[in-house]
Amino acid sequence: MSLKHDIEFTLNGIKRQVSVDVTMNALAMLRDVIGLTGTKYGCGEGECGACTIQVDGVSLNSCLMFAVDCDGRNVTTIEGLANDTTADALRDAFVEHGAVQCGFCTPGMIMQADHMVKSECCNDTDSIKRGIEGNLCRCTGYKKIVDAIAAVSGAQT
Amino acid sequence: MSVAEKKTRIIEPDTLIGKRIRKMDAPEKASGKTRYIHDINLSGQLHGKILRSERIHALIKSIDVSAARALSGVHVVITAVDVPDQRPIGVARDHFPLKVGRVRSERDEIAAVAAETEEIAEAALKLIKVVYEDLPVISNPEDAIKPGAALIHPEPHGADGSHEHLKQGTTIAHKGKPDNVAMTFDYAHGDVVQGEAESDVVIEDTFRLHYVTHCCMGVSGMIAEFDASGNLLMYSNTQVPFLHKREFAEYLNIDPARIRIIQPPIGGGFGSKLDIYPFEVICLYLARTAKRPVKMLFTREEEFLASPTRQPVLLTLRSGCKKDGTLTFRQVHTLHDNGAYTSWGATTPFVMMQTFSSLYRVPNCDYHTAAVYTNNPYAGSFRGYGNLQATFAIEQHMDMLAEKIGMDPLEFRMKNAQDAGEITGQGMSFKSCGFKDCLTTAAQRSDYSRKVQENKANRDKPGNIKRGIGMASMLHVGGGAKIYPSDGCGTILKMDDFANVTLITGASEIGQGSETVLSQLVCEELGLPISAITVVNNDTAITPWDVGVHASRTTFIAGNSAIGAAKKAKAKILAVAAKKFECAESDLDLRGGFVIKAASGEVVIELSKLLRNLHFQDKAELVMTTFYYEPPSVHQDKGFKGDVSAAYAWGTQVVEVEVDTDTGRVRMTRVTGAHDVGRVLNRLGIEGQIEGGVVMGQGYALTEELLIENGVMQNPNFRDYKLVTAPEIPEMDIAFIESMDGEGPQGAKGVGEAPAICVAAATANAICNATGVRMFELPFTPEKVYRALHGQTPKRYWTPWKAE
Amino acid sequence: MSELKHYFAPTNLDQAVECLKDGDVTILAGGTDLTPQSQAGRVKIKQTLMNIRHVSELAGITLEGDEIRIGALTTITEIMNNALVKQHLPVLVEACDQFASDQIRNAATIGGNICNASPAGDTLIPLLVLDASVELASMPEAELYRHSMPLSTFFIGPGKTRRSLCELVTCVRIPLPPENHVARFHKLGTRPALDISKISIGIAGTLKEGILSNVRVAFGAVAPTPVRAPRTEKALEGQRLDEATIAKVANVAKDEVKPIDDVRASAWYRKEMIHNITRRLLSHVAQT
Repeated sequence: MSLKHDIEFTLNGIKRQVSVDVTMNALAMLRDVIGLTGTKYGCGEGECGACTIQVDGVSLNSCLMFAVDCDGRNVTTIEGLANDTTADALRDAFVEHGAVQCGFCTPGMIMQADHMVKSECCNDTDSIKRGIEGNLCRCTGYKKIVDAIAAVSGAQT
Repeated sequence: MSVAEKKTRIIEPDTLIGKRIRKMDAPEKASGKTRYIHDINLSGQLHGKILRSERIHALIKSIDVSAARALSGVHVVITAVDVPDQRPIGVARDHFPLKVGRVRSERDEIAAVAAETEEIAEAALKLIKVVYEDLPVISNPEDAIKPGAALIHPEPHGADGSHEHLKQGTTIAHKGKPDNVAMTFDYAHGDVVQGEAESDVVIEDTFRLHYVTHCCMGVSGMIAEFDASGNLLMYSNTQVPFLHKREFAEYLNIDPARIRIIQPPIGGGFGSKLDIYPFEVICLYLARTAKRPVKMLFTREEEFLASPTRQPVLLTLRSGCKKDGTLTFRQVHTLHDNGAYTSWGATTPFVMMQTFSSLYRVPNCDYHTAAVYTNNPYAGSFRGYGNLQATFAIEQHMDMLAEKIGMDPLEFRMKNAQDAGEITGQGMSFKSCGFKDCLTTAAQRSDYSRKVQENKANRDKPGNIKRGIGMASMLHVGGGAKIYPSDGCGTILKMDDFANVTLITGASEIGQGSETVLSQLVCEELGLPISAITVVNNDTAITPWDVGVHASRTTFIAGNSAIGAAKKAKAKILAVAAKKFECAESDLDLRGGFVIKAASGEVVIELSKLLRNLHFQDKAELVMTTFYYEPPSVHQDKGFKGDVSAAYAWGTQVVEVEVDTDTGRVRMTRVTGAHDVGRVLNRLGIEGQIEGGVVMGQGYALTEELLIENGVMQNPNFRDYKLVTAPEIPEMDIAFIESMDGEGPQGAKGVGEAPAICVAAATANAICNATGVRMFELPFTPEKVYRALHGQTPKRYWTPWKAE
Repeated sequence: MSELKHYFAPTNLDQAVECLKDGDVTILAGGTDLTPQSQAGRVKIKQTLMNIRHVSELAGITLEGDEIRIGALTTITEIMNNALVKQHLPVLVEACDQFASDQIRNAATIGGNICNASPAGDTLIPLLVLDASVELASMPEAELYRHSMPLSTFFIGPGKTRRSLCELVTCVRIPLPPENHVARFHKLGTRPALDISKISIGIAGTLKEGILSNVRVAFGAVAPTPVRAPRTEKALEGQRLDEATIAKVANVAKDEVKPIDDVRASAWYRKEMIHNITRRLLSHVAQT
């Protein structure tokens, strides 16, 4: 039997307890144990960014994080940004600028963009591009994604 | 509002066409609420996993699944012997979902498990013991085609060594093949010998096109469930649900009417989901045996190993022209690495030969392909469908011929470019053709002719960064493609009491934006805002037939179908209104949610009110219409001649690069594109298609390569299979040429595949412009370019294979 | 073969090091490497999985005497944004900027990058040319025992270091660079960052009146570990950086490395790049 461990953490502003396999990653916990499917599996190796979440205010790949490592921390997923001003603006901008096609990369992209805008690190399009270099998109060619983030961050384009 | 006021209300003309319309599914996707197949779970669902071969080419001597079956939580373990009714699948019906007696590639499926959890299924796979007997591996198509090469699909032998008795009409998986040739294609128009005799310049080169794969961000998956009566419900990623309904029925030996396919939103298609792959049929077998829903999802590694690839091609092209710049002939031989089985990749010559025969006016053209079996991954359909490969060769030869006769490469292309009205040697009829506008627009916007000269002059100046500019053009089907018995699409349209319209379309939304563009077309006809429409699609039990998302056809075919249904609805509405207001139908129109007087825009009645009158007061009627659109295209004859598409799309792209001669690294700085799209419908959507296609083409040109050594994939991951990332993208300047196609919906033509096609060819020309070195093999990775710059790449020549 | 039996998240160094005593422990820090490797079955988690995240002694960047101490748990992002590091160790900031992606930089730790001992590890090359040392803690008896070793002797093979199973890397220490110190780093990949380098080069030294001394040169992805390049260093030591010297040193560097062919680059290309990039970096230094 796989080893289980009980953890307690804040998920999208709500304290919760959950019992997880010690070897499980945070992505599997969010999707399969907790049932929040906005966070996507794209590669499981931190190369695509589809599973990006925020933990203690920074963006991470949830596939590169042990679920048990969420213990005591503050975790936010795309679902947790439903009432967030910055994230709202980003969502609108993504829609308005045509930054969404198949949409599979979009939640991770928005989680990363939200972190970037909030940490005020997108001064220009080059820094935006660098900021999302860990988020792969196969449909859009990135241009409209960069435009959308620039529109929200006020970066010079 | 008084009656007097009402009468004076005027609705100004407005249009949705050409506007930037938000994609209808975008808000859900951007909120993480969209449920992809990965996010759907059915109660009672089991998880399926597949055991793949540990060998590349081997006989399967035995399979022991007893330990796997005994594992707690395992419901079903199957191998070929457990599915005696297996039928061969694929384009040539040349392999079984679960392999029988022999494996031929790394991906080959040997056994499958359905278990309570994915982890248990994986653990069960590890308990399956397979004994193999290795066979020689053929990993190079040039070896596969040599006389006496080991056969990948030999005739089967019985236990006593004699040939097994073959039932009449059995497929090739049963019959075997006498050699490793899977398919051949031979096309000709004119007389190439004569053409060569008339030439002042003749060149011949061999080009090598590599393995790449789709890399959809959402991995492949499916959920299958049989109900108590044996009816099958599938949640599938397919791009062609109606074709697959029929094909799955064949594989299961059931009536197609018993299969319902629902297509949840998918994480990218790009042509990868046009064939039925073993995992899908295996998932059905598991569900049938387990009598429970079974869900099967790939890991990313599995996605790399077991997805189709773009068709790798070895291509020798011989071209000629006269001193005045007139093209005289083209002769093409290609060797397609088919991989172990036949999927759509083998049939890419359908598209390749169109480019060779008809992109430019060529009086004499000769084209031959042999697609041969190897033990490599097998190639499928991929955005552009052979056209990237053909264009790579042709457009380099256009530059090379121009240089030989001392003509400006743009002028040379203009001299040979097609015009509207042309019927080509292959029988393609160009009713709308903006090719020359594409050429001049892309050249002007990029300042091509000046930069070509400037870069050449700067080549030998000091500094390690060399700038280059290169051009390439493309021709692709833009009005569907008559490949299947029908290339049509059906629409059902209904209007409710509040003038909201529901569009039930056969077309599949796979992220490309078909829902939105179809909505635009319908609302444009009915004079409604885009908010007044609901689209129902992606469910074969509800929607009318459509051939599927391929060949850049959806906007054109489904668009015409949707317009047809909307026009019928409009006619009905106007007839009712004309009767009610005692005027001619032609005096009325629909605009802004009202019936108006066509001449003045004056409101006659609110549309919703008219519809309620019709429903509740007059004769109790609803507005419901249907329409089926079949394009006026024809099938090719046996010589591959015929006008297969109702319209053709054109495009020119100019690529600018900086080559670092210290490292060989090529930076793509700018892409200027001009695309004849017929007409822009949704400007936001079409820009997105083009930009995404350009960057996909950039990956094909510079970074992406599936490395296969002796049949083994070396880089089945995003770490070493390099997709383009955001900081690498070029500046993009895209112009649209609106040639207003007479058959197209509102004048539009298909555009889905077009933008990816030219990039690699234009990049090759740009690198040559920068450095003077011509590259014949993709991709242009730093090491490959560096080697070429240092004379470390011996020029390769492939002598075309001739059939006995 | 021991199965995973315990999960332990110590809150201080003593607890952590005590836990390591029996040696059958897998240490979890940032998790960016351990998570995917263990998921894919390439790394087997030992009897105890110890998460050191809550050990506060392992965090933070401080100036201690003439050394900058970077706690093992410090993330790559924290290093990049730290004022001390920015002021004194810009070459390390440069390397961190080219490390993977923002998401990974936000999680990956310097201790993890060191202990992974990848021949292509992005921070290792600048740390080598900055004369960094690693501090290790263990508990041979009842008391905590700490000792240091130069990073240049720490790596013994791909993924292999001199850290014993009972030891925990607590920090790296980097001497404050002297006046006139110059340092350059170059990572050659196909992307700006999210890429495993085909080769990487670090060069550091003191530049006075055009003469480079106290030279340190290190190369990544050309040997089983990140390596110092003594022959190249010797060829540079005390030299004026004129064109002839640069050309000569680039050749020495090329001859000194013995890289291999792999999926990312051929040995031939790696040697060529060691030559060309060494030349490029030295030209930059000469123009300082």
